[in-house]
Order: sequence, then structure tokens, then C-alpha cells
Amino acid sequence: MDMPGSAQIPAIRTEGLKFAYGEGTSRFNVLFDISIEVPPGQLAVLTGPSGSGKTTLLTLMGGLRTLQGGQVEILGREISGLSPSELVPVRRDIGFIFQMHNLFDSLTATENVRMSLELSDRSPAEIQRAAQDMLTRLGLGHRLNSKPRALSGGQRQRVAIARALANRPKLVLADEPTAALDKESTRNVVALFKQMTVETGAAVLMVTHDHRIIELADRLIHMVDGHIASDLMLDSEMRVAEFLKSIEPFSALNPAELSHIAEMATLRHYEPGEVVIREGEQGDELFLISEGEVEVMRQDLEVARLGPAEFFGEVALLSGQPRNATVIATQPLDIYVVSKAELDAAMQHSTRFRQQLRRFFMRRR
Amino acid sequence: MTILALNRYVSPRVPLAWRNLIADKKRLVRTSAGIAFAVLLMLVQLGFERSFFDASLSAVRELDGDLFVMNASKYRFGTRNPFAHNELNAIKKVTDIASVAPLYGDWQDFFWTSPIDNKPHLVRVFAFDPDAPPVFLLSGIADQQAALRGDDTVLIDSRSRRFLGMDGSVRETKLDGEMVYVVGKFSLGPDFMSDGTVIMSDRTFAKFFHSTPATLPIEAAVIKVKPGEDLSGVRQRLTAALPSTLTVMTKPELVEFERNFQAKLSSAAPIFWLGALVGFVVGTLISYQIIFTELSDRLPQYATLKGIGYKNAFLIGSVLRQALLTGLAGYIPAWFLCLAVYRIIGDIALLPLHMTLQVTLMSLALTLGMCLFAAAIAVRRVIAADPAEIF
Repeated sequence: MDMPGSAQIPAIRTEGLKFAYGEGTSRFNVLFDISIEVPPGQLAVLTGPSGSGKTTLLTLMGGLRTLQGGQVEILGREISGLSPSELVPVRRDIGFIFQMHNLFDSLTATENVRMSLELSDRSPAEIQRAAQDMLTRLGLGHRLNSKPRALSGGQRQRVAIARALANRPKLVLADEPTAALDKESTRNVVALFKQMTVETGAAVLMVTHDHRIIELADRLIHMVDGHIASDLMLDSEMRVAEFLKSIEPFSALNPAELSHIAEMATLRHYEPGEVVIREGEQGDELFLISEGEVEVMRQDLEVARLGPAEFFGEVALLSGQPRNATVIATQPLDIYVVSKAELDAAMQHSTRFRQQLRRFFMRRR
Repeated sequence: MTILALNRYVSPRVPLAWRNLIADKKRLVRTSAGIAFAVLLMLVQLGFERSFFDASLSAVRELDGDLFVMNASKYRFGTRNPFAHNELNAIKKVTDIASVAPLYGDWQDFFWTSPIDNKPHLVRVFAFDPDAPPVFLLSGIADQQAALRGDDTVLIDSRSRRFLGMDGSVRETKLDGEMVYVVGKFSLGPDFMSDGTVIMSDRTFAKFFHSTPATLPIEAAVIKVKPGEDLSGVRQRLTAALPSTLTVMTKPELVEFERNFQAKLSSAAPIFWLGALVGFVVGTLISYQIIFTELSDRLPQYATLKGIGYKNAFLIGSVLRQALLTGLAGYIPAWFLCLAVYRIIGDIALLPLHMTLQVTLMSLALTLGMCLFAAAIAVRRVIAADPAEIF
């Protein structure tokens, strides 16, 4: 996919990057000595508490601010020392997805996307086609000529994403791109990001706390107080482990225990209407919802609905009794399944985990 | 609706300025009305200025001659400053002249008793020999010239101001206390000095001064050159033959002489220009307010365009284009509205108020100028917009 040699040039590279707001005594440091390299084809996620400097880092990487200290290389081009007007053409090669979508309410969805395409030297017909293709891929094929006012928040966000991606940029910088999106659209957008990294070798660096994206990320960079606290390359087990950690009882486990369970967990997919477990059956599996929603039925009455990062099946597993409820997928369902053997092992290792799981067990019974 | 239908076509570039202008229909109407108000102010002032000149020049424009001899100390045509009758002899001796007709005039002494209120009003009077070639181009004058041979007969201007009662069916009235008989009408119109015009024979005119045509001082000698003869040659010979107390002018020079007086010596022109300037200043303030609000509302969008790689030059260009379109959105309705305003004021004030190409271009330039000026001040906000703020 990448030309030999070109793969060596990082899409974005920073070295010793520092930044501070304000002057004199009110000077406030937000970034200390940040060195990151994101190669082409990588989907990297930047997390961290608010105020940790994530957004500032993105604006510096995007050439939206003048550098104060350190170096930034965008697609092989060193930008330190460039004046604000010299930074303008550098930004054309980057796909920006801003927190605010800032679409022109005077322009249609297609025209808003064309605004970014017109910075390239394509023909008007190509530009029109590229804009409409990208909108269609993002599920807006029926809203091509709608003005933003006529669109929902999620649709507007997708127009803004189309504007950023239509040019097929080699570097995408995004700040909470899926915040306004529903599950279906998020799945779509994340799939598109993933596809771009594979197809065009684009590097995607985004600030997000959406675990649906983190699960698919190749890399997880965690920032605290202007420093990089951790920088993890994620293989599939680690991604599952990250997911498990976000579920309450599992947060008590140490990384080794988590990765052990993750290794054994399998991903299953159910279509809406499919039965995951049936009341009265024997069962020794724990189910952790990654994406989608299920309804829990007892004697044909709905007793609960469960969504992402929630789990079920622990009652039969811990008590050895038959299933006390039927669980049916109401949406396309991605679910991790952990068997009794792994869970027993984990419970033996961690008293806290056992206690927490028991607490859930008592609550649900 | 047709504007919205344009959405379906692929234009080479997204017409951002145009789209921004028409995005909010209610705002467009407000914008258009605000600008149109200022444009109308300017158009009316410019129209008045134009009509002031047109009215002042209408009498000299209607003179039917190639060359004119007048007293050299005359500072404008419309003032009494005649020269002696016997100077005509010297004029007549110059070769290649087809005809010389003396024109008499008075602007200060004749009072027309209006049949409407029976009170005397000052009017402008022209007189000539009804048996000489015509001195006026006014339509109908040549045919009615013969009727002026009768004693105390006059032709009156049907476009005089209404209080003079000249547009009605007046047959006779008093002029300076003497009975005069109306034998015909012509159409000239008032200017800013005279409310009405009366034309009579030299004999009738002389009677008011207890004089005879043969000794009556002449306001202007209206000369026609023989067909095919060189005008400047005749003019040179005339100048040489006449004393320096007399001056010779061609018709364009005479018109220019009168215009010059109105433009430079009278205070009228600056007043109208000041009026137009007020319109310009008001318009600049209105358009600044409109453009500034518009830009402020779209600042995050402009900052986003900067963020994705648009240069300031593009944004400035877009803002200026939108300012020009805003100006046109106000100008076009104002121009049409002004046609009606000219017609109404023209009818009431009997002024020759006409939309001319010159007034159109002048007011258009002022309108676009004020919008560009306002946009140039407001656009600094866009230049200062920080793309880093929108992340």
C-alpha cells in the first residue's frame, strides 16, 4: 500500500514540544516535552482528563498555532519557524474534525464539503462527485442538498466529518468526532476511519473517550497534566482488556489478570431478535456487551434493558442454577463471552474482584 | 424559488458570498431596506442637483442660433445686462452671416397678475421680432410667432408654476398693470429663479419701457451662420469687428458659461452634494452595521475555513464580494423606487427630474463604495479570527 521508503516518514512527529498560555506571572504551562510519532496507517487515540493538554497538542500538531518550543513535523514537513500565513497551505493536507462543526448554514451539505475540496486542484465535476460520495458513505446520501438547519446534530457532525475526509487526507486530527453521533453512525464513522488507515495509509489521531473507538484503535496515548502518562500499542487482547477495565467489577483486576481473561474472551455477534440466553437453560458463560442493546425478559415480561459496558449471565454462573431470564438482542449486538473457567481463575487471584462480582450477583438476584 | 433551484446545478466554485447573502430571507429584506434608504437619499439629492442644472440651462438650450453676442460684463445669461441697439450694425456687416435676430429679456421687472389669486407675481420675459427668423427652438414657437404681431399679445409657458394660472384657459390678464392677451402657449418649465415665462414681440416689450424696438437695448444677438460656412472663422471676424465690451460665444460655450455660473458661483450645487454626502455617510454606517453583524455571526465558520487551509485573501475577497452584493441588493430596489419618487416630485415641483445614466453610475459608485468601505473596516475581525480557537 505504501511506497517503500515513504512508510518511514511519520504522518506526524513532535519532539520536545512545549506550550504555555499567558504572559509573565500568569503564564501557565500546558504541555511539557511531548514527543510522539504517528506512522501512516495508524489509528491512535488520545485520552486524558480535561485540562491535560490534549486539544492544545492537536492544534499544535495541526499547525493551527505558532510553536513556542520543540518541533513538529507534519507529513515530513518541519513547521517550526513558519509564519501564520506559511502554515495555511500546510493545513490543507490535514483532515480536521473540530469539536464545533461550524458548517455554513447558508450552504447545503454538499457545498459545505465542497469548500474543503475546492482547496485541491480537482475539476468541479470531480469535486462534486467526491463530496457526494463521502456524504453517501456517511449515510447522508438522502440529505445532499439539505441545509444544516434541516439536519440533526448527528447529521451535521457527519457533514463536518465528510468535509474533513473528502480530500482523502494523509493525516486526520479529530477532537471528539463521535460525541454527537448515535451508535449506528458511530459504527459507520469508526469503520470509515479504520478503512482509510488501511486503504490510503492515512494516520488518524483523535481525542476521544468513546470505548467503541478505543476498541478499534491501534494505539492508546494517555495524557495527564501536559505529560504523556502512557503510550500503549494495542493488539486485540489489549483492546479487550481495556474494554474489560471499563466494566466495574473488572476494574479491580491487575493488567496481567485482565489480559488473561481478554485472551480467553471471544467476540460474538447477534442480529436483532436473536436469543442470547434462554430462561431455564443451563449456562456457564458471562456476557459483556461491547455494542448494541439487549432486553432481559422473565416469564415473558421485560425486566431490564442493558447496553454497552454492561454485562449479564453472572447469576447462573456463580450459583450453578439454570438461567433465570431470557436475553434477546434488540439491536445488532457485539458481545464478549467469558467462560466459567477463566472467571474462576480470576476470582481466585483477586479477592476484590470476587467481592465486587458477588455484590452484583446479590443485587441482581 | 428560482434562486433555490440553482442549488441543483454545479457551479465551478461554491458561491459563498451569494449564498450568505440570501441565506436568511428576513435578514435580506432588512439589509436591502436599510441600504435602499441611503441609496434613495443619494439618488434624490443627485437628481435634484441634476434637475437644478437642467432647469437652469433649459432656456439657453432652447436658443436657436450658432453664435451669440452679449455684453462682456454679463456673468450669466439669466440676468439683465443689455448692450446698445446700434451695435447690431457692426454685426450685420460681418460676412457669411445668414441672419441676426435681437433677443430681449428681463428677469426682474415684469409682474404677471395670476388669474388664480389676482396677485402680481414676478415672471421671466423674452421678446423678439416676430418677423425675424425664430430665436427659440421651443416647439410651436415658430408657428405662433405670427400671432405676436398683434398689440399686447403674449405667449405663455404652460409648464409654469401652477399658482401663475398659465396652464388653464386664461385669455387675458395684466402684466405690470397693462392688459395683455394670450395668443398661444409653449412648454419650457420653471427653474430655481423664475416661476414662469412670458414671450412677446419686441414692440410690446418696448411699450413697457416707453421705448421703440429701434432703440431698445439688446440682451443677446442671435446669429445664424450661412450653411457650410466655417463657424470659427465667422466668430473671429465678429470678435474683430466688435468692441471689447461685447463677447461672442458659440452655443456650447453659452451653455457651459451658464453651467459654470451654477456650479461655481451659485451655492446650490454644494448644497445638493452635501445632501448626497449625508446619504453616503448614513449609508456607510448602515452597511457597516449590517456587514459587521453578518461577519460576527459567521466568525466561527470563517475561522474554520482558515483552519482547513483558506488564506486571508480568500476570506477578504468573499467578504468584499458579499458587501458588493449587499450594496446591489439595496441599490436595485432603490433605483426603481426612485423612478417613482422622481415622477412624483417632478410633477409637484415642475422640475425636470430624470434618471440619467450619469446619476445612475454616480449613485451606484457611491453605493458600492460605501459598502466596500464598511466591509474593509469590518473585515479586520475575520483577519483576526484565530483558527486554534475552534478546536
